[in-house]
Amino acid sequence: MEKIRINNLAKRYGKVVAADAVTFAVGDNEFFSLLGPSGCGKSTVLRCVAGLEEPTEGEIYIGETRVNSTADGVNVPTELRPLGMVFQNYAVWPHMTVHDNVAYPLKLKKLAKEVIETKLKDALHTVGLEKLAGRYPSQLSGGEQQRVALARALIKEPEVLLLDEPLSNLDAKLREQMRFELKDLQRRTGIPILYVTHDQTEALAMSDRLAVMNAGRIVQVGAPAEIYTRPADRFVADFIGLMNFVSGRILNRSGEEATVEFLGSHRLNVIDRSNLSGECVVAVRPEDISLSPAGVIRCRVEVSSYSGHLIDYKVRADGVVLRVQTSKTASYQEGAELGLTIDRAMLFAARETEPPVR
Amino acid sequence: MTAANFDRRYLLMAATGVFVLLVVIYPLWQVLFRSFLDAGVLSLKSYQKVFSYPSYYRALLNSVWISCATAAMCMVLGTLLAFLVIRTDLPGKKTLRTLLVLPYALPSFFAAIAWIQLLGPQGYLARLFLEVLGFATVPWNIYSAGGIVFVLTVHYFILVFITVAGALERMDASLEEAARTSGAGTYQVMRQITLPLVLPAIMAGGLLAFIGALANFGIPALLGMRARFFVLTTSIYYALAIPDFGLATALSSMLVLVALVTMALQFGVQRGESRFTVISGKAVHPSELKLRSIRHLLFLMTSALVLFISILPILSMILTALMRYWGAPITAANLTLQNFNYVLSFEAAQRAIMNSLFLGAVAATVAMLVGTVISYLHVKAKLRGSRVLDFLATIPYAVPHTVIAIAMILAWARPPVSLYGTLWIILVAYLAVYLPFAVRTTNSTLQQVHDSLEEAARTSGAKLLPRLRDIILPLARPGMIAGWILVFMPALRELTVSILLYAYHTETIGVVVYNLQDAGYREIAAALASIVMGLLIFGNMLIRKLTGGIAGF
Repeated sequence: MEKIRINNLAKRYGKVVAADAVTFAVGDNEFFSLLGPSGCGKSTVLRCVAGLEEPTEGEIYIGETRVNSTADGVNVPTELRPLGMVFQNYAVWPHMTVHDNVAYPLKLKKLAKEVIETKLKDALHTVGLEKLAGRYPSQLSGGEQQRVALARALIKEPEVLLLDEPLSNLDAKLREQMRFELKDLQRRTGIPILYVTHDQTEALAMSDRLAVMNAGRIVQVGAPAEIYTRPADRFVADFIGLMNFVSGRILNRSGEEATVEFLGSHRLNVIDRSNLSGECVVAVRPEDISLSPAGVIRCRVEVSSYSGHLIDYKVRADGVVLRVQTSKTASYQEGAELGLTIDRAMLFAARETEPPVR
Repeated sequence: MTAANFDRRYLLMAATGVFVLLVVIYPLWQVLFRSFLDAGVLSLKSYQKVFSYPSYYRALLNSVWISCATAAMCMVLGTLLAFLVIRTDLPGKKTLRTLLVLPYALPSFFAAIAWIQLLGPQGYLARLFLEVLGFATVPWNIYSAGGIVFVLTVHYFILVFITVAGALERMDASLEEAARTSGAGTYQVMRQITLPLVLPAIMAGGLLAFIGALANFGIPALLGMRARFFVLTTSIYYALAIPDFGLATALSSMLVLVALVTMALQFGVQRGESRFTVISGKAVHPSELKLRSIRHLLFLMTSALVLFISILPILSMILTALMRYWGAPITAANLTLQNFNYVLSFEAAQRAIMNSLFLGAVAATVAMLVGTVISYLHVKAKLRGSRVLDFLATIPYAVPHTVIAIAMILAWARPPVSLYGTLWIILVAYLAVYLPFAVRTTNSTLQQVHDSLEEAARTSGAKLLPRLRDIILPLARPGMIAGWILVFMPALRELTVSILLYAYHTETIGVVVYNLQDAGYREIAAALASIVMGLLIFGNMLIRKLTGGIAGF
């Protein structure tokens, strides 16, 4: 069953288009992410769902309820929407204790004291904060404040949970840990999550499905693996993971198999569902290139950098610099002359602006 | 939008909008409107009158040159002192700084009274000059244009001091260090790097001093009217005494015009300063200039100056309050507490104290409440039209208080709503005067309350009232209390508005002090002024404590 449904949402500030033609749905039990660079409109969409912004166009459903419809003039105020939200800066009220922060949504519902205390205990237990109930936010670490915000968002048992870059203010170690905790929490509670982030690693690791946004529009919706291996366009290919772009030419195609010529006169057969022909851009992931002295395409190692679980190279082949990542133990010196083999590649149309060289 | 989800914040906006309309816009519109009215017909006759009688256009010229002279002197004095206190290794800088700001915490007409006590005929310093040093005459006259500029400068130089000190503190030290490593000496660095960088701040401070001097009533009233030297504010007072409303409103409109032009200039200068990104908010401490051999000499000179402009007037006021009669020889036998006794049992003074306390408390409370709502609507709710409301509520900031008083007479002293002769008309005027302060202080308080704190309350299910009660107000409370005191204290000692609006039984403390001084009961005026001074200095300390030194002087 769908828990959030967004139909053709648009948000404009004067002439500035923050979001346009956004349509997607989040299912029950689903962890759904909106991913994109800053300014792509992902937060705007989330804030429209929360009711903190009013859409210029479109419809939003939460559960069965239509909370927004510009056509019918429906705009349910935030405070009446069945949702919980965690903000980027946690927004834990500094003048209230952890107890009062988390209990606040229930107090507003005017529940009996005992009921509140029971539910509060559960909520604090869920996020592991039982012992800190009497503290003020200024006495908490960033990670603890984060948990307070989470408990506060969950305590009124909302239909959906909205998370606005909740991990971006944590340090790297804690971020990693919270990632697993959030995912675990979602599995345990079964609450559907709409998650906004600019961090592709986060989105890939946590989401059941994600939507990649660019310039106010959704470019691709899919499961993480699908988006990584079959990016819909060059933007997604570039934004998700690392990617080498090399210009090439399609020599011939039969069905979904195309033969492309690039890096001098190197030829490769590529699975490609588009119907491109002629000039094109060949995209290759760094891990899809392997280096060996016997490799067909001759190249020279320019930079080699060791980072623990893998070795990162920049090699020059036919005047083009390529990024190569390998977990193999064999390591090559800077300046070494050797060869490379490309195992897999994707094709995109040529007449697009060049992405920045990394 | 359907009725079911009507945004209640618009109700708040409508209510505050009506308030601003009645208290600010309608009265000020009356001033402008009436200045173009003659016997019920639109005309320029009042303006013609201003420019055809020398005594009126001279008041305009006087106002401008007095303010220019004051601004120039303030810029010199304020900049020098700011350099000394911020950028050198002068001993006791912190204490000096606190003492320098002290005169500004007291009302300007107290300063005028104190300087009359010191420099006037039979003044303490005049007597020192004549009797002890044996001069035949004193080479000054406090009842003159020069006297006015002097007291205005002593009162307003602090505006330049504060802006320049702020700029010097925010300046990136590396800019000077770069000049130093390029081979520039201390003097060259100061002249070629530091001074040009703080020039916008000096200009901005000077313009603030200009506006202050232009709008001041107490100082030219006490020092100038006796010598028949009039400026715009005192001419307006005079025109109201005739009464000639056409003339008073025409003079008022011109006063407002000059103030607005200056304020626009000041705004421009400040924006120019912010374009200079080099003066950022970074807390890099600039290097201190070593004064070496002249360190102690400069310390003595600065201390003497501080003693002269900050301490002496206060001591003079207290001494006068303790004298058996004004002009008595200063001996132990002539010291008495009878003036305090008298003033506290003096019926008009008792009434005035009650009136001022009432007016101050009510004005501060109402202004803060309305100010908080306006600033919430503007800063937090960001409702459409709230910017306009915020702007309208800050208009009185640019309007000299004399003009606000006239506006109230025109708007609220005629049937069907005649408040004239009651405390209410003074209250409405105070509300207009202090609303901008209330809006500004709550604006800055609420700007520090992150939007997400309120949004989190909304997503927790809190409607408008619980949100205000549980989140916004508690978080804004410290700022609101500070703002309340910041309105209450100046209201307690207010003169300009009250003197134009008071009637028998509605005197304020300022009015009583002014009238006692004007009628020659100087020692009694001084006694009442000393009591108020004590209250103000105490309140100031309180507010510094409350805000951690951010507000107050």
